[in-house]
Amino acid sequence: MKLAHLADLHLGFRQFDRQTPRGGNQREADVAEVFRRAVDDLLVQRPDLIVIAGDVFHSVRPTNSAILFFFQQLQRVRVGLPDAPVVLVAGDHDTPRSLETGTILRLYEALGVHVAVETPRRLVFPALDCAVLAVPHQALAQAERPALRPERGGPTINVLVTHGKYPGVGEGRGTDDYGGALLSRETLAPEKWDYTALGHYHVAHEVAPNAWYAGSLEYLAPNPWGQLQDEADRQRRGKGYLLVELPGARVTFRPVTPVRSHMELPPIGGSGLSAKELDARIAEAVVKAKPAIDDQIVRLLVWDVPRAVGRDLDHAAIRAYKARALNFLLDLRRPEAPRVEASGAPGRRRTLPEVVREFLTRRPLDADLDREAFVRLGVEYVEQAGREGAT
Amino acid sequence: MIDRASPASPPVGRVVATELKPATPYQFHFWTAQETTVGIGAIVRVEEQSKGNGEGGRVVYGVVTDAFAYSDLATPLHDVIGAEGDPARAAEAPTVRQEIRLWTAAVLRQIPEEPLQPVPLGRVLVASDADVAQALRMDAYLTGAAPTGIPIGLYTSGGLESPVYLDADFLLGPEAAHLNISGVSGLATKTSAVEFLLASIFQHFPVHKGKIAAVCFNVKGPDLCFLDQAGTLSDEDRRRYERLGVAPRAFERVRYYAPFKADGVNLNTLRTHPDLAPTVEPLVWGLAEVLDYAEVLLNRDDIDAKADAFIDFLSDRVLNRDFEDGFGGTHRVQSFADLDRLFRAIIGGLEDAGRSDMWRTHHIATIRKVRNRLSNISTRCKGLVADDGQSSDLPWGAFADRTAYIVDLANVDPLGQDLVFARVVSKLREHLERRDLGVEAVVVFVDELNKYAPADGPDTYVKKMLLDISERGRYLGLVLFAAEQFRSQVHRRVVGNAGTQVFGRMDMDELATPGYQVLSPATKIKLATLPIGELMIRHPHFTQPIFVRFPRPAALRGRDGVERFPPAADLPFAEAVVRQLVRLDRGVRPNLVKDLIADRDEVDVRRALAAVRRARPDDVTAYLRKALGSRVAVDAPRARPVVPPLNPISEEPY
Repeated sequence: MKLAHLADLHLGFRQFDRQTPRGGNQREADVAEVFRRAVDDLLVQRPDLIVIAGDVFHSVRPTNSAILFFFQQLQRVRVGLPDAPVVLVAGDHDTPRSLETGTILRLYEALGVHVAVETPRRLVFPALDCAVLAVPHQALAQAERPALRPERGGPTINVLVTHGKYPGVGEGRGTDDYGGALLSRETLAPEKWDYTALGHYHVAHEVAPNAWYAGSLEYLAPNPWGQLQDEADRQRRGKGYLLVELPGARVTFRPVTPVRSHMELPPIGGSGLSAKELDARIAEAVVKAKPAIDDQIVRLLVWDVPRAVGRDLDHAAIRAYKARALNFLLDLRRPEAPRVEASGAPGRRRTLPEVVREFLTRRPLDADLDREAFVRLGVEYVEQAGREGAT
Repeated sequence: MIDRASPASPPVGRVVATELKPATPYQFHFWTAQETTVGIGAIVRVEEQSKGNGEGGRVVYGVVTDAFAYSDLATPLHDVIGAEGDPARAAEAPTVRQEIRLWTAAVLRQIPEEPLQPVPLGRVLVASDADVAQALRMDAYLTGAAPTGIPIGLYTSGGLESPVYLDADFLLGPEAAHLNISGVSGLATKTSAVEFLLASIFQHFPVHKGKIAAVCFNVKGPDLCFLDQAGTLSDEDRRRYERLGVAPRAFERVRYYAPFKADGVNLNTLRTHPDLAPTVEPLVWGLAEVLDYAEVLLNRDDIDAKADAFIDFLSDRVLNRDFEDGFGGTHRVQSFADLDRLFRAIIGGLEDAGRSDMWRTHHIATIRKVRNRLSNISTRCKGLVADDGQSSDLPWGAFADRTAYIVDLANVDPLGQDLVFARVVSKLREHLERRDLGVEAVVVFVDELNKYAPADGPDTYVKKMLLDISERGRYLGLVLFAAEQFRSQVHRRVVGNAGTQVFGRMDMDELATPGYQVLSPATKIKLATLPIGELMIRHPHFTQPIFVRFPRPAALRGRDGVERFPPAADLPFAEAVVRQLVRLDRGVRPNLVKDLIADRDEVDVRRALAAVRRARPDDVTAYLRKALGSRVAVDAPRARPVVPPLNPISEEPY
């Protein structure tokens, strides 16, 4: 049996103020597009069972476009794979906070999709000899949780689908989303399941050989740049969904081609550079970027940039980069404040001319100024003032 | 209580001193009539004749250590000739030969103590109650504003029964502390003596010295399993209790702890009779509790810096943290099962990579060794060590005054016994150092000391710990009461540091070892034939060993206990779970619980049970239900509507 595991679609997610030709948010359209590509791949791979482990929508009240789009794509799946059940659980983003709010997810039951929003459902598919325990976020968030265990004497293959936070995952870089119900190895007991499909963490991640987070299909909040680093740690690049062969839980990552890239340009060390020198280095980084930054989401980290240098940068050029890219983030980091020794520290107290010399040596200057002559002149003036004061 | 109004008794003998047998400041000889109540171990009082100036003479107290009898016969041949070679005619001798009973006594005390002089040639009297107190220097701690006497037994001689007290300062610290008791096994002397002494301590430990508790390790049979049940006492025993001022009653506050059997729900103890079982608390530890004492699991061949370093690495860097194994896996190790997964990932990763035998500076052989030792403990001590990380422990920080905590390890694997001992004592020490145990002093009773601190053999973690308690425990209030069959086979520093030493009946071979050279041959003979209920005691205040009798313990003896409360057979899983819950709340409805756990995985039920035990909620059943998690019934999917070839949505949303 082939199972497709998707999670964290976050349809309706909006970011940046770029619009599509039709006036919609560009990132919202991007997020939808990658899901469309995932569905394209599903129709090719033809899984026997599709599970979506929560956070289909980014919010409880998604945009009309998102609702409609998801309906359209599920319809494609249902028509293209009429025998493949689709099981969907609500995550923390698409779970209503109060009963009267209701949920849009029920709409998709009309397409024959099995939806679990508030209470867990144990779904048995005799044709697949498979049972799916679908546990939404709400069921895990309440005081009396369901027992996440297969039913004895049930079908041969048992699958758990749920949405929550596994301790330690994504905590290092803040890439775990806030608000997930807490899971643990004891509550999940992966050894009792043929496969556990998890949602909430946005990077594909193996909790146990047969328990995985599928990750999101796009680089979304929180900290997409951290997600890139998390991926690098796992020696995997890109977003996608998981195709799992059962029994045996042989997991294959199915990458989905992104609409645009998240590009992290090589960081620049700004220490000792003037504004003009830094402008040149930034321009060089932009030129060397492959692919070109046009329509991409770009970040350039520059370390040790004093406030004055940052102010003097060529902002017209930076605006041009921002116009080319969908989003260009020039992340200027200040130098670490030098440690000042407290009184009583060993060593000689410096004279005023020495302090001035040290200050002028590192003060940012226009590139056409001769720093040596500038420093010499400044120190002479201070020494002269000192001599006059003494007489 | 000491009777200070006893009438003066007539003298029973007189001190003699010759050139060959002089009286010295530490020993003297005296003779008595042939019919006398004096015997080995008797305490006597020597009175110097009053001086003419009205001052009283010197008074010396001694204890009889040896005895001689002889007549004026020059040689044995003279007697043969006198009887004409016929023993039947020996009684027909025309004159009765003069005989003498000559006794040797060791000085217990002289009054005045200075100047120290040879014992005067005075009359000898049998000691009275007050004399015994004086002779044993008990007056120093039985009188005054804050007396510290703990009754240990009755000194008996010639119809006299005088209570003998130990000084709590020297028995329980801070002055000397620790007690060692040795004697042949099978006479119930050692265990009975400790039971009686603990009862005496709980009743007489001075209030001004604070609170005290006892932790006893039951390492064989049902010895300490029924301390809270009253045993049978004879009138003689009751009279002795009364004389000693100790109430003849079972222990009022006892708490029992025992690990589970391998099934995880039936307790591994002989105290499983339905009337008593609810009073036994489970003792279960998780990985964190075990890993702190992993050294216990290593034998002498294993103890090396590498294994030690790897165990420290696991404790500091791996346990309860997110840990990346270097082969693409992330682990959060909280249980033995998690740890085993990590080990498998490391060893598998190294084998797959095939490039090195080293993982983070640790050699694969070291990793394998530590893995074997750790998995060994979780297999051999399955009921003690929980695989899922849940623990149930002694009430650290909430120990109660004059309460005995019995840890029943009788049926636990020796490795598990070592682990329990090491961890419990370490935790006691830790809390006593911080002064947050709940009591100021704890008596730790360990039987079979030969096994834990042998004179020879490897330097185990447990042995090092016993040495540490012996040498430094008294400053903390951690007092070791230890018992063994052969004192000579116990580590000298453990025995030597015991301020109070008690001897029951001894084996002659054991008495022939160098440790008993200070005893006279007569004392050794008495020790070798000592009846049940009699002991020889050495205590810092007593300059010579003293024989005392103690009454049978008021608590039910182990073997009587198993007859009165026969252990119940192991219960089926569901029944055992119900019993555990009933112990927490008598209102629990067994059928409801059985319904709740029916068809559940036993591991899950055990985990839920542990959660209930830890939380001790008001509504036990509701908490168990919550811990187990609600069942999710099968939701037969409705027949999926065939999706008609819907009209395509008229416009692309994006």
